[in-house]
Amino acid sequence: MRAIWLKDLRQEWRLRQGVVASLLMGVATVVGVGFAALGQTLSAGLQAGLFWVALLFGMFPALARGFIVEEETGTADLLRVAARPASVFWGKWLFHATLYGLLTFVLVPLYTLLVVPIQGRLSGWLLLWLGGGFCLTTVLTLCGALVAQTTVRGALLAGVSFPLLLPLLLMLIAGTRQAIEGVFPAEPLQGVFGYALALSTGGAWVFEKVWRE
Amino acid sequence: MPQWSLECRRLGKRFGERWVFRGLELQIASGTVLVARGANGSGKSTFIKLLAGLLAPTEGEIRLFHAGTVIADRTRALGWCAADGALYRELTGYEHLRWWAQTRGLPDHPDALMAQLDRFELAHRAHEWTRAYSTGMRQRLRMAIAAYGEPPLLLLDEPDAGLDPSGLKLLKQVLDEQVGRGIAIFATNRAECAAWGSLTLELGA
Repeated sequence: MRAIWLKDLRQEWRLRQGVVASLLMGVATVVGVGFAALGQTLSAGLQAGLFWVALLFGMFPALARGFIVEEETGTADLLRVAARPASVFWGKWLFHATLYGLLTFVLVPLYTLLVVPIQGRLSGWLLLWLGGGFCLTTVLTLCGALVAQTTVRGALLAGVSFPLLLPLLLMLIAGTRQAIEGVFPAEPLQGVFGYALALSTGGAWVFEKVWRE
Repeated sequence: MPQWSLECRRLGKRFGERWVFRGLELQIASGTVLVARGANGSGKSTFIKLLAGLLAPTEGEIRLFHAGTVIADRTRALGWCAADGALYRELTGYEHLRWWAQTRGLPDHPDALMAQLDRFELAHRAHEWTRAYSTGMRQRLRMAIAAYGEPPLLLLDEPDAGLDPSGLKLLKQVLDEQVGRGIAIFATNRAECAAWGSLTLELGA
């Protein structure tokens, strides 16, 4: 797992394709939202929705690439022979989680600066960021692996990930709205972490089934 | 010599409606160098990929035994190299070998890795990205990776492709050494290399 994570980090450091695409997309989204919201008072629900939409938009270009690039460049077979499916899945997941961390490190301050400051229950924000990051990363890693086996990769990714991402986004937005209003988002967090638990067990199992033919 | 054996029972692979081969029976033991031969499209690469676990058989089964006990995950006991197998263009030869060693739980000490690269005459270019390697150098690196850690089952798909005479000599050495440690299976259509095998499997016949 660690070897795969380090390999992906090294490749990304040398090419900087995924991270640059993601940052550009994320920054463009936040700037666009900031411009649209200029001089307006945004409701807590709208703030929460825009925050997660900006993060999701930013994550899509980089996280979709992990497995698709391996298939397109023909290195997937080497990876299949080299490592156990679980190591491949969690190695890629760790790399994607690193990108998620980097992306939020850039986008959250920008969001605070251009749209609206992060406010309310910070512990709620932090837990939602952790749980939401885990789930977003797992869903996009898994969907990337699934669509990498097909011929219509880019188009299919959005379609495959949509039903998995929608309930998650709704929970994250509901929780973030409560956090902004100063309420600890206990119920949405239960949902998010339950979803994370289901993904962490089911995701690796599904991956193992699709990874080898 | 450790007693390894490989068994294929009623092995068949179909793509769509077309059977590449069907009903293949095979039983080989340590010390065997099996050469898979056949015309283009006869299923040589498919056969190697099935053995490597890269493809699932449509019917039949493949089992690897050690001292009579079946190995649950044979993919952990094999080295694999294919002439058309891609390498990571932005990684160096050294990084490739280290990555392979780490994912397979093999020794990854720099001295051991450099010794392997030196053996395949790649030490002087070990720290260059593989995108700068020639076709023959990439093939040598694939062989170096496959043979690293002395796997009991060595699978080579057209390993002679792109190799110069000294590369072919290295390939012969690798196969000779494998006789003493397990099983080698390689696909080729080059008569000179096919003669190195102790057993021949004609596919598409």
